[in-house]
Amino acid sequence: MKEPLPMHRESVLPSVLAGDAPRAAESPMDSDAFAGFYERSARPLWAYLARVSGDAALADDLMQESFIRFLCASPPEEGEVASRRYLFRIATNLLRDHWRRPRQASIEEIPEEFFAASSSSSSADLLGPALALMRPRERQLLWLAHAEGYTHREIAGITGLAAASIRILLFRARRRIASLLREQSSIPHSQPRWRQP
Amino acid sequence: MMLNSCSREKEVADLLRRGQWPAACAPELRTHVSACRSCGDLVLVTETFLRARSESAGAARIGSPSALRWRAQLRRRNAAVERIGRPILGAQIFALAVNLFIVVAFLAYQARHGMAWLNWLEQLPQEYSLPLESLSQSPLLNPGWNLMVLISAAASLALLGGVAIYLASEKQ
Repeated sequence: MKEPLPMHRESVLPSVLAGDAPRAAESPMDSDAFAGFYERSARPLWAYLARVSGDAALADDLMQESFIRFLCASPPEEGEVASRRYLFRIATNLLRDHWRRPRQASIEEIPEEFFAASSSSSSADLLGPALALMRPRERQLLWLAHAEGYTHREIAGITGLAAASIRILLFRARRRIASLLREQSSIPHSQPRWRQP
Repeated sequence: MMLNSCSREKEVADLLRRGQWPAACAPELRTHVSACRSCGDLVLVTETFLRARSESAGAARIGSPSALRWRAQLRRRNAAVERIGRPILGAQIFALAVNLFIVVAFLAYQARHGMAWLNWLEQLPQEYSLPLESLSQSPLLNPGWNLMVLISAAASLALLGGVAIYLASEKQ
C-alpha cells in the first residue's frame, strides 16, 4: 500500500503562491495541446451555447467559464473526442444552472449586437424562431444530435439523461421542430426543401 | 405520439453527416425520403442545424487561449490556498470557542456568587495598605475561583501545546 505524500503548509504554500505548486496547480493539458484543442472546439461550443440559449453575450461568458472549468478539472485521457464531449457536458451543466437562476435582466442590459446578430443570417431567420418555441432541453438535444452529430449514448453522457429517454425525447422534438420549420418556410411535407430550385 | 422511426434513417443520417446528401445518394433513397415522413424530418432538421452551426461558428468571437489558461491557473491556485487554509481556520474557530466558553463560564460563576470580587475592589481604595488578611479572604483564593483559574490555565496550556506540537511536526 502506497503511503500518502506528505504535504506541509510551509512547503506547499510558497510554491502555490508562486504559481508552481505540485499537483495543486498542475494543468492536465500542456499549453500547445490546449491551444490546439481550443482552436478546434471553441467555435462549435460557442455555436451550441448561442443557439440553445439564444443569447450571444451569455454564450461568450459560458464558453469562457466552460474552458476554465475544463482546465481546472481533470478531463478524460481518452483523446480529443472524449475531451470535447466533456467540455460540452460542462457547458450543458452551466446552461442548466443559468436557467435555474431567477431572471433579473432588463432589456437595457442586453447588448446591441445581440439584436443585430439575431436577424443577420438566413438560417438564423428560419431556425431561430422555431428554436425559440422549443423547450430548453429539446433545443439541447436537437443541437447535440443534429448539429454536433452525437449518438444517443453520447448525448446521455453529456446531458445526464437516460439513453432510452433520449430516443423518445429527440423523436418528439425533431417532429415538432420539423413542423415548425415547414410552417415557417411554407413548404408542405410532400415538397421537401432540398427539391426546391 | 407513436415512435414510428424508419429503418433507413441511419443510412440517411450517415449520408448527411458525410456531406453526401443528396448528390452522392441513390435515386431510390431519394424517392424513399420524399415519401417517408421520418426520413424527411431528419433531412430537413439536420440540414437546417448544420447550416446554422456553420453560420454561428463563423460569428463566434474567440479570445486568447493563454488568457483562459492564466485564469484557470489563478483559480486552481486560489482553491489550493483555500484548501490549505481550511485546517488553520478550524483551529482558530476552536480556540475562539474555548475562550468564549471560559468567559461565559466565569461570568456565570460570578453572577451566581454575587460578584464578590467587585465588593473587594470597592473596599480596596478605602484601605491604605493591602493587609494580608484581606488578601487571604479574597475571592481569588476561594475554592470555586481556584477551579475556574485551573480550567482556564489547563485550556490555555492545551491550546498552546497543540500549536507547539503542530509547529514541531510541520518542521519535521
